[in-house]
Amino acid sequence: MSQSGIRTSKVSPGALTLWLAGRTWLWLWLVISMVPIVFMLITSIKPTALANDIPPAWIFTPTLENYAAVLLPGAGNSEGFANLLLNSAIVSLGSTALALILAVPAAYALSMRSFRARKGLSNWILSTYMFPPIVAVVPIFLIVGRLGLMDTYIALIIPYAAFNLPIVVWILRSSIIQLPYELQEAAMVDGASSWTILTRVIWPLLVPSAATAAVLTIVLTWNEFLFALTLTRSGAKTAPVGLQQFTGLYGTDWGNITAAATLTAAPILVLMVLLRRQMVSGLAFGAIK
Amino acid sequence: MTRTLAPSVERPVQRIDPPARSRPPRPRKRSSPWFYMAPSLIVLGALTIGPAIFVLYSAFRNDRVLGGAGKFVGFDNFITALTNPSTQHSFLVTIAFVVVVVALELAAGFALALPLSGQTRANRFGAAIMLLPFAVTPAAAAIVFKQLLNPNFGWIGYYLGFLGLPEGTDLLSDPTTAWLMLVILDMWQWTPFIALILMAGLQSLPLEPREAAMVDGASSAQMFWHITLPQMLPFLSIAVVLRAIQAFKTFDSFKILTGGGPGDSTEIINLGIYRIGLQTFNVGLACALGVIFLVLLSLLIPLLQRVIGRRADPEEMS
Repeated sequence: MSQSGIRTSKVSPGALTLWLAGRTWLWLWLVISMVPIVFMLITSIKPTALANDIPPAWIFTPTLENYAAVLLPGAGNSEGFANLLLNSAIVSLGSTALALILAVPAAYALSMRSFRARKGLSNWILSTYMFPPIVAVVPIFLIVGRLGLMDTYIALIIPYAAFNLPIVVWILRSSIIQLPYELQEAAMVDGASSWTILTRVIWPLLVPSAATAAVLTIVLTWNEFLFALTLTRSGAKTAPVGLQQFTGLYGTDWGNITAAATLTAAPILVLMVLLRRQMVSGLAFGAIK
Repeated sequence: MTRTLAPSVERPVQRIDPPARSRPPRPRKRSSPWFYMAPSLIVLGALTIGPAIFVLYSAFRNDRVLGGAGKFVGFDNFITALTNPSTQHSFLVTIAFVVVVVALELAAGFALALPLSGQTRANRFGAAIMLLPFAVTPAAAAIVFKQLLNPNFGWIGYYLGFLGLPEGTDLLSDPTTAWLMLVILDMWQWTPFIALILMAGLQSLPLEPREAAMVDGASSAQMFWHITLPQMLPFLSIAVVLRAIQAFKTFDSFKILTGGGPGDSTEIINLGIYRIGLQTFNVGLACALGVIFLVLLSLLIPLLQRVIGRRADPEEMS
């Protein structure tokens, strides 16, 4: 880049100090912020006998015993963490599918030029992003209870889809608006209905942004805690909620807790590392492309 | 823009013969946008407007889940919510928490984004590493922090012992340090998000103004204050608004790390509503708190629409 060219041509002491300070801060941050992650990974593969040692043991033979103990049902652990991970996966994928089914047509409508209410509705949908889940959770708890849906997947899937709709609709809508309008015009001249335009013209071009929005929804729903804590007991309990109850079940068996934490965080870590630009831009509603 | 010149064709001027392998005939009128909007509006309405109406209704009643039918009590719940010291406290600590973490994360994130904005291989690696904490499931992060802070076996107590921290200090048992730990956890998790927004912003800035200033002999500090910072304002405002909204929704870390304690020193409003509404089942009071919280948050909506709306489609909002 030309920046480095400029820098070498004329380096003032002040600029050099700033540059050094910036690099130092950056590397210091990176090293310190890795501590919890390193702790989590290392403790999860420590033999149980060493897990609670102080000073912390750094040299040991790695073992997968903690993962085996956590995943399978056993003493004091009637469910097995594998079940909770499966629940998390079902709820995440289900709510993501529902969010996309709802959002694609909505985003299309919000891109229509003949649609008078589109600006107002877009803004309303965006503003629902403000709606605090804690305010919704009390009524939803009562309604779900009355409908007998407590501790079912559906009780999580629908709220999760709704609370992620603003992000998904806005990502998709921005992508549709950026497509050349001539494509739609050409199809209209050929007599295509709006449904045909959506399914044959727009959808194929929308797949990449829909994939981004889908991954983002999976991440957000996988990580969700408040609704899962409130609306599930055991049948549909998700991994983040199960984690919190680990402390009670096991005292402080750090090997098991960190193994479960690693299992919960790992899929999201992988997705995030692979798609970091898209994820951050998606969470910023595509406002920083 | 050129697009405005093209007449928007609302419906085909004339329907041309259907193509050979056409589907069954459709109604002549193109389906209304409302047809496409309806499913989303129903679900979103049911999960936002519905609860809002319920909350508003219940806020004026003294319903208790386990206590039989309640009755209308007027503004009693609101009066309690606004005058009770413990609920006042939870509103104040919520606002303080949001202001503090947003300010600190913005400063720390900008300081990370500046050195990371050059597109070198080391920086790309650094940015990927930096994002890792953001990717950790918040509940898992809070559990891990709790283990690290364990006064008997935690790494933090042990290694900070070398710096003079007395052995067996429980950093979560004192209100001040408990707050500090929650702020650190939040910064650890969310600063990378802000840094990456600002990094993307820095990389999209035009170079010319900086080059011109450099030719004119501006110092680095002058360049930062007079050129980079003003150019970055839109990105800074996106980061602040989005982060503030998310910070108001914080629940996991407080619930797991301190549970609102010691005492009620870290009981933010989210925890307060949870405890009052879903543990002691005073639905009326929880709903009154919810209404006040909704009103408070709705003050942020115009800011959100301005920063997202304008950046997301410049041609429409103008």
